[in-house]
Amino acid sequence: MSALTTTPGGRGGSSDARDLKRRWLGTDRRHNLTGWAFLLPAALLIVLVSFVPMIQAFILSLQTGRGTRLEFADPLWYNYQRLLGDEIFKQTLGNTLIYLVIQVPIMLILAMVLANLLNNPNLRFKAFWRTAIFLPCAVSLVSYSLVFRTMFANDGFVNDVLTTFGGQPVNWLGEADTARFVLILGLLWRWTGYNMIFFLAGLQNIDRSTLEAARVDGANALQVFWRVTVPQLRPIILLTAIMSTNGTLQLFDESWALTRGGPAYASMSVSHYLYEVSFQRNPNFGYGAALAYVILILVAVLAFIQMKVGDKRG
Amino acid sequence: MAKRLRGLPGYLVLGIWTVFSLFPLYFMAVSATNSSQDVLASRLIPGTELFTNIAALFAAQDVARAMGSSFAIAAGTTVLALLVCSVAGYGFEVYHSKGKDVLMGVLLLAMMIPFAATMIPLFQVFAKLGLVNSLVAVIVPSVSTPLLILLFRQSSRSFPSEILEAARMDGLNELSIFARIYVPTMRATFAAAGVITFMMAWNNYLWPRVILIKNEVQTMPMLIVNLSAGYVTDYGVLMLAVLLASLPTVVVFLVLQRSFANGITGAIK
Amino acid sequence: MKRMTKVATAVAMTLPLALIMSGCTSDTGPSEADDNTLTVWAWDPNFNIYALQEAEKIYQQDHPDFKLDIVETPWDDLQTKLTTLAQSQETSELPDIFLMQNNAFQKNVINYPDLFSDFSDSSVDYSQFPQAVADYSTIDGVNYGIPFDSGTAVQALRTDVLTEAGYTVADFTDITWDDFVTKAKDVLAKTGKPLLSGQAGSSDMIMMMLQSAGASLFDADGTPTIADNDALEAAIDTYIELVDAGIFIEVNSWDEYIGTFVNGSVAGTIQGVWIVGSIQTAADQSGKWAITDLPKLDGVSGATNYSANGGSSWAVSSNANVELAQDFLASTFAGSTALYDTILPKSGAVANWTPAGASDVYAQPSEFFGGQPIFADVVAFGADVPSNNTGAYYYEARDAVSAAITKIIGGADAKEALAEAQSTVEFAMG
Repeated sequence: MSALTTTPGGRGGSSDARDLKRRWLGTDRRHNLTGWAFLLPAALLIVLVSFVPMIQAFILSLQTGRGTRLEFADPLWYNYQRLLGDEIFKQTLGNTLIYLVIQVPIMLILAMVLANLLNNPNLRFKAFWRTAIFLPCAVSLVSYSLVFRTMFANDGFVNDVLTTFGGQPVNWLGEADTARFVLILGLLWRWTGYNMIFFLAGLQNIDRSTLEAARVDGANALQVFWRVTVPQLRPIILLTAIMSTNGTLQLFDESWALTRGGPAYASMSVSHYLYEVSFQRNPNFGYGAALAYVILILVAVLAFIQMKVGDKRG
Repeated sequence: MAKRLRGLPGYLVLGIWTVFSLFPLYFMAVSATNSSQDVLASRLIPGTELFTNIAALFAAQDVARAMGSSFAIAAGTTVLALLVCSVAGYGFEVYHSKGKDVLMGVLLLAMMIPFAATMIPLFQVFAKLGLVNSLVAVIVPSVSTPLLILLFRQSSRSFPSEILEAARMDGLNELSIFARIYVPTMRATFAAAGVITFMMAWNNYLWPRVILIKNEVQTMPMLIVNLSAGYVTDYGVLMLAVLLASLPTVVVFLVLQRSFANGITGAIK
Repeated sequence: MKRMTKVATAVAMTLPLALIMSGCTSDTGPSEADDNTLTVWAWDPNFNIYALQEAEKIYQQDHPDFKLDIVETPWDDLQTKLTTLAQSQETSELPDIFLMQNNAFQKNVINYPDLFSDFSDSSVDYSQFPQAVADYSTIDGVNYGIPFDSGTAVQALRTDVLTEAGYTVADFTDITWDDFVTKAKDVLAKTGKPLLSGQAGSSDMIMMMLQSAGASLFDADGTPTIADNDALEAAIDTYIELVDAGIFIEVNSWDEYIGTFVNGSVAGTIQGVWIVGSIQTAADQSGKWAITDLPKLDGVSGATNYSANGGSSWAVSSNANVELAQDFLASTFAGSTALYDTILPKSGAVANWTPAGASDVYAQPSEFFGGQPIFADVVAFGADVPSNNTGAYYYEARDAVSAAITKIIGGADAKEALAEAQSTVEFAMG
């Protein structure tokens, strides 16, 4: 049973841990500073290219006006208040949450399963499967949206197949529910391979001996997966969960290029609406910034919860 | 015999997903050989227009320059990002402290705001630095990303600490440990990070299209949008352009994928 | 393998660095040291950019040192760039001239006057442009643009399909929508082909009908007139009738729309004249098309058979070499019949500039359109197109009307849906 509970890196016995701890504490401060030095360049860059603009965006969200004629709103949170009465915003928020709840879990589970399958030493044609599943990511947005739109056109391939098998053609992109379905399908198609890569890399870092030990102990494939692989994959699962949540809540590309937010805002994401408000309609940057902050707060809250639940060290 | 049957459900799942993944790509490839009219009719059989489309594409757009531009941006971003973020992720995990956890959380915030909102302030920064229209301006914002830092941090969780201790006892300094021991061990993570970064940098569209103003530095995604921005779109040519644009990422993937190949164990012997 | 990765890494590191360095130094500033070069931002190499290149040649006849630096920029990118530059107040990065969609012109001038130079001191004679078109780029009586490509709407029909049903193009000329519906139903019954198609949820068709009656979504003061708009209601009623009768096929994307007539499932379309280029990609349909004017709305005062959709105009930026730019534009796009003669056959770019329309080239028969001199006809239509109030909130209004149309098709009450659309626009304006 020790194989099933072993921690990564083989840090098994508790006495070893205490030894290590003692040695760590001795040079702890110097190492701590070294650590800070290591992460300084990255952190500084992010402050410059992300935090500075973010602060400016926040200030913007407190202002109203069109174009460059901006002044502070009265009351300051006017834009945020306005959001509550914006029907389109509510629709897009609902759409985005639907995508989050449905697409992310399916995609992550699929990616994990596929990665696990690909990690099997007995699997043939590994390189082929890997490449085939990754390829959708490599394709640019413009093209795959065109292909999907053509495939799901009223007289397109999918309807052709449906009618051949005796079904009725579906107005895929013309109805709210099916339009969202096509968008979710597009997201799955494009991003499963992407997440699979993270899991593949993560699986590489798992000690094979833990899996062998479990198998020797009599566990079948599913049990090995569930009780040995998954716990060790936890850090990567947390990573992909945070990233996917972030990516889906900020969804823009597919709403913009695949369904164009149609029909009548039924599949539009909040990010897409933000872009419209800022760049396509009469520019209302203050309002757009407020929208951005709503997204940020949503993502941050969810990420925080995920970190609290899933971020266990060692 | 039993062993082969046992693998069957796995092959089935892989097979179905592969068909799903590849079919739209097949359609794209076939479309590149068809005329615009046929593409709109969803023709699934290869046509004879490949060379016509190639000629039309190269006559209409400066494909070579756009590929070069995109490659410079993608390669530059990838190399710098791997460098900067791996070091940071390592720092966060191996020298773990409560303070660093907090900082990680704060840095994560940076990726949570939609780009459309920060685009204009960011543009102002680069305009003030006189870097409008330069490849540097395209690369810099993508070098340090919370995603990569988090990836390296999380992956470092499986980096065994005894190795660290052993190396320290051998007298290696911290930087050497990173370069000589961490990097080779975490090859899979570097490869994954490399592929991801290259792909994102290559397909990046929102920022380059704002900061790049001259034809000479146009990227492939911008070129593709040019093709569909006119009154008449030649869909065959468009698909061909997309195919060409997808090739470099695929090549990078093919080169690096063996590093996440099975057989190389994570445990360091 | 290890050595290869080392070498590869080395190359990968030096190559981009070298390219970056070269990128750094080769960035010539926006202020051209060369006083004889103009930078232009425009899209579409087959149409706008081609026209620019020909204009350059013509201007070079009298100004041999003149050069045009054309940067291909899709409209969407162009709008984003303009907005970004204006909001971050970096107008020094603007080109000398840029092309702008007519529908977006007023919005940009009203919000970002700092981007533009007006044409008050130029030599352009605006009486040589149809009022409706020049109005797009006129704000408070000041001209900010030179109209270029015509968005004049046409009704394009497949003559062979009409013949099969016993009709000719004359039967569809100068008619009313009621008349159209009757005849189109007949064509559908006899040949199985609908005569029109368009994107579901797009308000193009309705906007064209609206403009044909001289009505708009905003009044002269900029107040939305979506609810209680008789012409709009008439247009929507007609549209619903068309869709219900199967005469107008709704599809879900632009490419699908193009596909419908290119692949022959639909036997006609009503759109800006620029659609002609797409129609002509169906080489096997050559000689089987003809053009005529639009049907007019019944029971609406001020209804005409003419309308427009789209089109664009040239603007001169605030950062420009204004004199040179305006002289260039005035001598070519607002002054050279030779230019329009050259570009017409190859690109189908129909002039708004009235003198151009009088030339022989415009009267040339078009083989694809059965020998009809379509361009001369279109220029004649263009003269009679009623004006349209766009204002700063045009896109909001169009989107709201599109959403309303989708709801009405889905069964909602027209008056309610339009009232909702009006309040959506008022919210957006608030």
